Amino acid sequence: MRRAWLGVIVLLFAATAAMAATPERWIHVRVESGHDGGSVRVNVPLSFAEKILPTIDHGNLHHGRIRISGRDMDSADIRAILEAVKTAPEGDFVTVQSHDSDVRVAKAKGNLLVHVRDHANREGRVEIQIPMKVVEALLSSDTDELNLVAAIHALQEAGEDMIIVVKDGTDHVRVWIDTRSESE
Amino acid sequence: MILAKIAVWGLGSMVVGGAVLCSEGLVTVRVHQREPDGHNVFLVAPAMLMPLGMKFVPRDALRRDEREIRPYLPILRAAADELANCPDATLVEVIDRDEHVRVAKHWGAIVVDVDEPGQTVHVSVPIRAMQSALRELAANFPGD
Repeated sequence: MRRAWLGVIVLLFAATAAMAATPERWIHVRVESGHDGGSVRVNVPLSFAEKILPTIDHGNLHHGRIRISGRDMDSADIRAILEAVKTAPEGDFVTVQSHDSDVRVAKAKGNLLVHVRDHANREGRVEIQIPMKVVEALLSSDTDELNLVAAIHALQEAGEDMIIVVKDGTDHVRVWIDTRSESE
Repeated sequence: MILAKIAVWGLGSMVVGGAVLCSEGLVTVRVHQREPDGHNVFLVAPAMLMPLGMKFVPRDALRRDEREIRPYLPILRAAADELANCPDATLVEVIDRDEHVRVAKHWGAIVVDVDEPGQTVHVSVPIRAMQSALRELAANFPGD
């Protein structure tokens, strides 16, 4: 009997420790406009996005999966590119330096990196950093769709990093994940 | 003695009735217009009236709008359920040159604050009442 109680207590401690080890993660979006000093801040728990996405059945988004169908590129193309990135070793994949902009696509420290620097606009830049685990989760669907719900689930386990930074002259967009409910 | 019993019974009924009415919280609406002859509106109502009110919406009217409402119902219900579970936080904040809009979760309610040049608006709706109202709405559409 005492052993059974001890077992229950150990289980309770383990469950509490597991819950404490995985605090709620939040996705933050912040848009700042330099023109009028305006800003938009969105703070959403990742679990919220994970639960809502499967309920949306609109356009190309069905049950948490998205089908991209553009004239130049569709889901199959994106899947093929991401599959290639997934299996490729770390390093630079694409570096394009032109009069207008510099583009660099690379894989480093388990992240897919896309950096674009606009020459015409000294301040203009796009930086995207996506953990490879998220890329793999995007490809987890059997069909040629991208699995957004799995990607969000994978983000829950990713580090606290800036995912997207877009700076265009006076406007500044940032998307990042952390365990704080409010953006700074 | 009989009068005292009636008074106690009446008071008890009022307390129990009030407690039941307020069991889902209170909906608060406050509008303050800054103009000299502007209006000030302050409304507090039991949130339970929301799902209760849904019962009195004519079925024909709901059926007419079913096609528009139905696709959003699962999203709204999932959103309300998840909001109920998530901790208090500012969910959306928009700051403009002369306007400030804030949507937050605070003490189990969704609170919307709008501060614009002419007026300030504050609306607070308990999430539990939203869930009940959406459940009531879904009950009108077979299959949901």
